[in-house]
Amino acid sequence: MHLSIRESDIKKRSSRDSEWRRGLRSLRRSPLAVLGLVIIGFLVVLAIFAPSLAPYSPTKMSLSERLSPPSSTHIFGTDDVGRDILSRVIYGSRISLRICTLVVGLTIGIGTILGIVSGYWGGWLDELIMRISDVFLAFPALILAMAIAAALGPSLENVIIAMVAIWWPRYARVTRGQVLVLREIDYIVAARAIGVHESRIIMRHILPNCVSPVLIQATLDLGEVLLTAATLSFIGFGAQPPTPEWGAMISLGRNYLRDNWWYATFPGLAILLTVIGFNLLGDAARDILDPRLRHGAR
Amino acid sequence: MPLDLEAVIPPSYDTMNFLTYIVRRVLLVIPIVLGVLAITFLISHIVPGDAAQLMAGPRATPEIIERIRHEHGLDRPLYVQFGIYIAHVFRGDLGKSILTRRPVTADILGYFPATFELTTTALLLAVVVGIPLGIVSAVHKDKMVDQFSRLTSVIGVSTPIFWMGLLLMLVFYVRLGVLPGPGRITGNPPAHITGLFILDSVLTGDWRALGDSLLNLVMPAFVLGNAVLARVVRMTRSSMLDVFGQDYVQTARAKGLIERAVVYKHALRNALIPTLTVVGLAYGELLGGAVATELIFAWPGMAHYVVRSMTSLDFPAIMGVTMVIALIYILVNLLVDISYAFIDPRIRY
Amino acid sequence: MLKRLLVIFLLTALVGIFSLTTSASPEGQTLIFGATGELRTLDPHVSVDNNAWRAIYYCYDRLVEYELGTTELAPGLAESWKVSPDGLTYTFYLRKGIKFIDGTPFNAEAVKFNFDRLLGMALAPSGTFGFIDRVDVVDGYTVNFILKEPFAPGVSAFATDQGNIVGPGVMDHEVNGDWGQDWLTEHSAGTGPFYVEEWTHGVRVVLARNDNYWGEPAKLEKVIIKYVPEAADLRMLLETGEVDIGEKLIVDQIEAMKGTPGITVFEAPSFCCHYVYMNCQKPYLNDVRVRQAISYAVNYDGIVNDLWRGTATQMRGPVPVGLVGHDDTVFQYQQDLDKAKGLLAEAGYPGGGFTLKIMHAPVIPEWRPMALVIQEGLAQIGIKVEIESYAWATLRDKLDKGDFDMSHGYWTPDYADADMFTWFWFNSENWGLAGNRSWYKNAVMDELVTRSRTEVDPDKRLGLFRGIQWIGTSDAVYLYLLQINYQIVMRDWVKGYVYNPMLLNMPNFPDMYIEK
Repeated sequence: MHLSIRESDIKKRSSRDSEWRRGLRSLRRSPLAVLGLVIIGFLVVLAIFAPSLAPYSPTKMSLSERLSPPSSTHIFGTDDVGRDILSRVIYGSRISLRICTLVVGLTIGIGTILGIVSGYWGGWLDELIMRISDVFLAFPALILAMAIAAALGPSLENVIIAMVAIWWPRYARVTRGQVLVLREIDYIVAARAIGVHESRIIMRHILPNCVSPVLIQATLDLGEVLLTAATLSFIGFGAQPPTPEWGAMISLGRNYLRDNWWYATFPGLAILLTVIGFNLLGDAARDILDPRLRHGAR
Repeated sequence: MPLDLEAVIPPSYDTMNFLTYIVRRVLLVIPIVLGVLAITFLISHIVPGDAAQLMAGPRATPEIIERIRHEHGLDRPLYVQFGIYIAHVFRGDLGKSILTRRPVTADILGYFPATFELTTTALLLAVVVGIPLGIVSAVHKDKMVDQFSRLTSVIGVSTPIFWMGLLLMLVFYVRLGVLPGPGRITGNPPAHITGLFILDSVLTGDWRALGDSLLNLVMPAFVLGNAVLARVVRMTRSSMLDVFGQDYVQTARAKGLIERAVVYKHALRNALIPTLTVVGLAYGELLGGAVATELIFAWPGMAHYVVRSMTSLDFPAIMGVTMVIALIYILVNLLVDISYAFIDPRIRY
Repeated sequence: MLKRLLVIFLLTALVGIFSLTTSASPEGQTLIFGATGELRTLDPHVSVDNNAWRAIYYCYDRLVEYELGTTELAPGLAESWKVSPDGLTYTFYLRKGIKFIDGTPFNAEAVKFNFDRLLGMALAPSGTFGFIDRVDVVDGYTVNFILKEPFAPGVSAFATDQGNIVGPGVMDHEVNGDWGQDWLTEHSAGTGPFYVEEWTHGVRVVLARNDNYWGEPAKLEKVIIKYVPEAADLRMLLETGEVDIGEKLIVDQIEAMKGTPGITVFEAPSFCCHYVYMNCQKPYLNDVRVRQAISYAVNYDGIVNDLWRGTATQMRGPVPVGLVGHDDTVFQYQQDLDKAKGLLAEAGYPGGGFTLKIMHAPVIPEWRPMALVIQEGLAQIGIKVEIESYAWATLRDKLDKGDFDMSHGYWTPDYADADMFTWFWFNSENWGLAGNRSWYKNAVMDELVTRSRTEVDPDKRLGLFRGIQWIGTSDAVYLYLLQINYQIVMRDWVKGYVYNPMLLNMPNFPDMYIEK
């Protein structure tokens, strides 16, 4: 992500608060951003209240009812072993949320730490971390994720591990970039000169100012993470039966597309809606958190 | 791959410095390439499965398996194997695929034209449709056209490629029958010159094959280029808007120059720079997206080969193809970085 | 500029559409076969893959062939043969006046060369002829095969794909002592009614008619085996007529295609069996009562009637119906949850309380729902089942190492003898991929299967087979699930297809033709 960082962009704490308030106001004025919030909110509700919302258990098989079209008893129809697709899609929201939050959360954690270490202390550690980042970034994400997931074995956990392994360099770079500029700011230089403890500097001044760009990157990434995970599951590396993961469901439904279109269509719609929600949210986040960020990556 | 903050900054538009920049940039790539080789090697050796066993087949006796293991050097320590591998790579020998029993290099060369044709068409589509659409959106900001293109952009970026491909095939091939089904060509392929069906058809005057392959390209290229299209539209639009806000454009407008002159002559040139960067960076996405696209449309290309070798634990193929794809990606990024610096040496990142 | 490009594109597209409507699929006697599995090699001495055999089988001849549509043996390249009384020597009298596709003559030397190559390369196909000690040329057209010990079904082995006779001409292309393997991977070198004209990797193989064939020439001029990786795609191609014939579609798809105008679905019982291996070396599964309990917990009805929609029958014992040696009185498990729970309690696990893993691979899509049914059944007696999907190659590797609890699998016999099931499935020497995939060891069984191989008296053999089947069932060595029907889907204009249960994936191209 290309960032033009200027010293005036770095804010002290008081002006950040009013910035948030201004941001929230502009959010309300943008219908698309609100739509994004609504979609994601809906998804979270689905995930939390899945047991009460889903009409059937996602794993309950009913062989005599297999491959039934959408009807009043099964709103989204049934799959090839007679499980209710609506229920599976609803429970699938849990899995999707779990994947997204785990991957993004872990990569932020790892990436930020490494980025701060890299930027703040520099030297050979910086070189090492950056070179490793370069190597990881040299692969198209999906290909490398596939290779790692294939090596580790097919499971959702391994897909998450593979994606974390690939995604962290982005956050390391973003954070490092911020840190490099921050390091040279007058009051930080002064603070170091008078001997303020490093960790205090990091915690009070550097870290808070990294939040914005990291958050922007994160919300923009959520959608991509879900798509990549779904693609990996579609290829066969991710969730195993009977886990109702959306990408895996599409993969299974593919063979039945001709006569049983509902099998693959509804999970796909779920993915589409969720990613749209994430993307809208990401755009909104970027607009709020840094309106001066013009030469953004997307 | 974004440029480093304290990157190799081309100081001024001085040819000598520019050449130095190129050299330094290329040299920087070498350790990355070695790193790429190391990673692909490591990954394919974590993979569970006895390569010798797989090569020998299910009813082979232990003697046969040991013999094959020895023949392929699989009984030597890991670092020795890696060393041998690197030496081979520099000679252009990527080993022999377990599945196809051909040299991996031959396999890759065989499958590459299909992927190249697909990704290039997708990219062309994205650019040819995206840039004008972005311009129009910028010029008519917030009107119907703009809202429409922004909406379709969001949808384009958010749709899972494999799902879109499946649905499009269901509608246009199975139900309506207006577009051909999976595969690169329906009838006989054109005579083989480059492996690029479109080029070969033109070169041999095989018009039927030309039409056939073009029709087969429509859906896959559309599906693959979709996400890139969305990004190109957004980037063009936002950079055009930026440029519109600039002083010199305001001045030109005030002076009364016709809108069209303003747009095409001044704004476009400057706005295109970040767009070109997006296009270059999008190539990585295309390579990744090609995986799903080739699977859905039964396209015999490299991405398809990658998936097959990964699911079949074809170690030599996995190593070879992952490395080649990464190298292509590195190369494209390198070219983008260099041309970026060439176009505007004053830009600092 | 842009507009011009757009116009050019549209014009070309229009040209394309027009040309497509005028040039349909290839004219004349060309058959297009849609295959979901991809070829890796065309060398009969390397390949153990049915997908390859489909292309290879009719490019070659064998000493002995299957009578059209039956499992009976008939003369092939050998006019006649005899087996010595002690069962240790097979003598083949060869036909004269035959040439390989490259012009070299077929004779006893060629046969010896072929088997020297097969056994010398010592790859997987050579296992089928492991009983051969050596090959002797008696005269120009007589060959002797000396066996290590008598092997009852021995002559049948010569009719399999492993018995393809490869011509000595391949040695002209030999490189570094590889027996011409590099070259033969991509070409054919046989005497058969077809030869390999072209192979575009990942796309198709083209077989062309051998116009100098010594026997009845084929009616088809060309056979194009088109690689269609997805069953759903193959179905679409069959419906539009772009592909003439295809197999290995999913049961549900085939059911939906029955009754589609223009399409014929051929279905017949086969010897192909789907079963589940239970690793007898693992905890819990090493107790026969646990295995029996599992056998009683499976919903066989649901699998046979709902999942396979009646296109399969439940296995009765380890030997499929129709093979000589099958005992129809063998016990057959049915779902009986009470019995299952009782057995578990007897074994010391009242209420279950442990977990087992079952593996499957995407290569057979039906395995996944079957695993789900098994999972559900075992859940009802308190056993938790975890389903794991592996790539085919990884799964086979784990089977060979014994690194699994339970796994799906299927088995087709190479020749029509119960030995193909009993020897391979139960002999403790065959642990792993070779055949005994439940890693079962029972000295009595070992004795029985070994004797049944060498026993020449047919009645005594039957008796031995009975014993083997009874023990195999009561010891619940495998979950005997299904004997499936073979199904192949073709367009109405494809004629001349004759089914042979021994040649499942090798439709009789030489006799087929197109009639539109």
